[in-house]
Amino acid sequence: MTDFISANLPYLLAGISVGGQYALIAIGYTMVYGILRLINFAHGDIFTVAAYVMLYASASLPLYLSLPMTIAFTVFLGFAVERAAYKPLRNAPRMSIMISAIGVSYLLQNLMWYVTGGLARQYPTLPWISSTVSIYTATTKMVTLVTPVLTLVLVVALVQLINHTKVGMAMRAVSKDFETSKLMGIKINAVISVTFIIGSFLAAVGSMLYFSNYTAVTPTSGAMPGLKAFVAAVFGGIGSIPGAVIGAFIIGIAENIIKALGLTTFSDAFTFALLIIILIFKPTGLFGEPVHEKV
Amino acid sequence: MKAFKLSIAFLLALAAATLLFFSFQAKDSLPQLLERMDPHQAALQDAQMQKARDRVLDSFAEGNRERTLRNLDRYTGGFSDSLVMDSRTGFELFFYENGPSLSALGMFLLVAATALTGLVFSRQGKWRRAALPVVLIAALYAGVYILENMVGGSSMLMTVLKKGAIYALVAVSMNLLNGFTGLFSLGQAGFMLIGAYIFAIFTIPVESRPQVYQYYAGGLIQFEMPTLVAMVLAGLGAAFFAWLIGLPVLRLKSDYLAIATLGFAEIIRAVFQYDGLGPITNGSNLLRRFPTFQTALFPFAVAGVSIALIALLIHSTYGRSFKAIRDDEVAAEAMGINLYRHKQMAFVISSFFAGIGGALLAMYQTTVQAAAFTSAMTYEILLIVVIGGMGSLSGSVMASFLFVAASEWWLRFLDNETMMGSFRVPLLRSGFRMVAFSVVIMVVVLFYRQGIMGDRELSIARLTRWLGRRGKGGRDG
Repeated sequence: MTDFISANLPYLLAGISVGGQYALIAIGYTMVYGILRLINFAHGDIFTVAAYVMLYASASLPLYLSLPMTIAFTVFLGFAVERAAYKPLRNAPRMSIMISAIGVSYLLQNLMWYVTGGLARQYPTLPWISSTVSIYTATTKMVTLVTPVLTLVLVVALVQLINHTKVGMAMRAVSKDFETSKLMGIKINAVISVTFIIGSFLAAVGSMLYFSNYTAVTPTSGAMPGLKAFVAAVFGGIGSIPGAVIGAFIIGIAENIIKALGLTTFSDAFTFALLIIILIFKPTGLFGEPVHEKV
Repeated sequence: MKAFKLSIAFLLALAAATLLFFSFQAKDSLPQLLERMDPHQAALQDAQMQKARDRVLDSFAEGNRERTLRNLDRYTGGFSDSLVMDSRTGFELFFYENGPSLSALGMFLLVAATALTGLVFSRQGKWRRAALPVVLIAALYAGVYILENMVGGSSMLMTVLKKGAIYALVAVSMNLLNGFTGLFSLGQAGFMLIGAYIFAIFTIPVESRPQVYQYYAGGLIQFEMPTLVAMVLAGLGAAFFAWLIGLPVLRLKSDYLAIATLGFAEIIRAVFQYDGLGPITNGSNLLRRFPTFQTALFPFAVAGVSIALIALLIHSTYGRSFKAIRDDEVAAEAMGINLYRHKQMAFVISSFFAGIGGALLAMYQTTVQAAAFTSAMTYEILLIVVIGGMGSLSGSVMASFLFVAASEWWLRFLDNETMMGSFRVPLLRSGFRMVAFSVVIMVVVLFYRQGIMGDRELSIARLTRWLGRRGKGGRDG
């Protein structure tokens, strides 16, 4: 028994940790999808840009400046992408907005490649959270323990914001019925911007935690976590924040169990297999509301 | 009028026959030609000349046309004093040197003559309308072949044309799905991967397998297939996987379909790199040494036939059903269209041609590796479809050539640091090309959502009308 635990504890810890990081990204997907019905393909790239900004900022600035700067820049980027690439297409068919999202993703990846030269960079070691701790028999980084706690704190705060503030109420209204809430005098564009700002903020935090663990940063290193976070959002029921968080933890843990079984090649494939399975048996996900088609 | 047309057709056919006859004859008669050029046996006295002449004959015997031409040039240029060049010899030399181009021209004239004759004798409007496009397509193919013989197969222009033709096929196959049936699928790279691998696995010569599969004891499969059979098999393999994955996935709504097909492509990529399948797929190592194409005509021919088949499908009743599903699923279902069956059909057919495109891409690249078929590849193809216009085949074809030419050739200068006098042009360095390129794409996506063609097709009538309007507009102004 002890052997079993000591052999598998590192994987479980890694799973919980990466699950929390996926959760922070997944919230961005699920909120945007809830309001705009758009898969924001660029979200994973915004996550990567956050890593690069942190990387460059911390090279010359102390942490108490570089950290807020990274968050501010990422938030601004999320806001700017929405304004520039999605807002002009508000009345276009949904496929066009999705294509625009893919275009933004392509642009951001090429831009990062251009600025950084395409080589893998080492993410800076952040004080305290990059330090090693040992739990029971496993040795791990502090970030492994911090991530789930921080994730839960942020999610609780977000849920409070959505349930108990005016802007939260507006967001719920818009996601329920876009047209009607517009007629009710809700400033749609402001609400959408707030959504993107919150999503990008969480992505920036997630990026700091994620890259403290997996320290190589390349222009495409955010694509896979981004897709997985999206799968997590679908798994939990897209549009639902608790669903996204639970889905992300399940996917993070399951992925690491597969790695523990020695099938690392299939850990990515498993996520997508899970997606296809859930879409077949419960297309609305764990906590999603069923959608009725109106003619 | 009829007699006039017929006599023109007859003259064209005569010219074609002459061209074909002479260029065909000149192909094998180089040794006799060399003898006739040197009636006094001057080469026997001059060792250097003899050597140059032997070099021509050697490369001719090898069948290496490019080197033969180079040696021949050196021989006739270097010893023009001792060689006798009467008009007949010059004529035959000309036909040897330009044989492929002239026979291409001959073939084109033959097609033109046939079309003209057909025009005279047929009363059916269908055939009459087909005549001009047929002639234009023949001109296109003849032009590509002549161009290839003029600029050389490895030049940038030919590279772009080859890759453009392959991308055109893949883009058209994606357009069938995204533009004509309204299914937002992002699995194209996965199906291309399946096609490329099936093609490569079945065509690597048996004697090369020990080297290719060096980590897997020569691999499991110990036979090879003809290129075209393997290519069809590549398409069928991709289609089979599409059918399989389509069973569950095609019941999903649009954006779930996108993410599920994207996921499927990622799964395929992981599975093909799996070490356990190494004896078949060579794990994560390269597959190589399979047959490749020698001339740009091959991808043009395969892509052309495939695109023509897709065009026929779109103009059939099935195609009309696809468009109905795209425009309004609920209404289409109410009209008695079986949604699932038609979606499945579009998906399988699109994947079939994506598989063939993958096989062509493998031939073009000469090596295949699963890691290269990323979602970025699908995105590129999707962007081509958007630039060309969702729901326009000719738009996709044009956009493919534009896209490939721009990204591989025209925008290359953006990647080089440039000095203007002592002024260093800012921003220009490696990677800037792709940035500029993606900005252009974003502009198209945001402001020219219709793309080049919208959902119309290129037609001669439209083109002449457009040109006419332009001309009139110019006069008015």
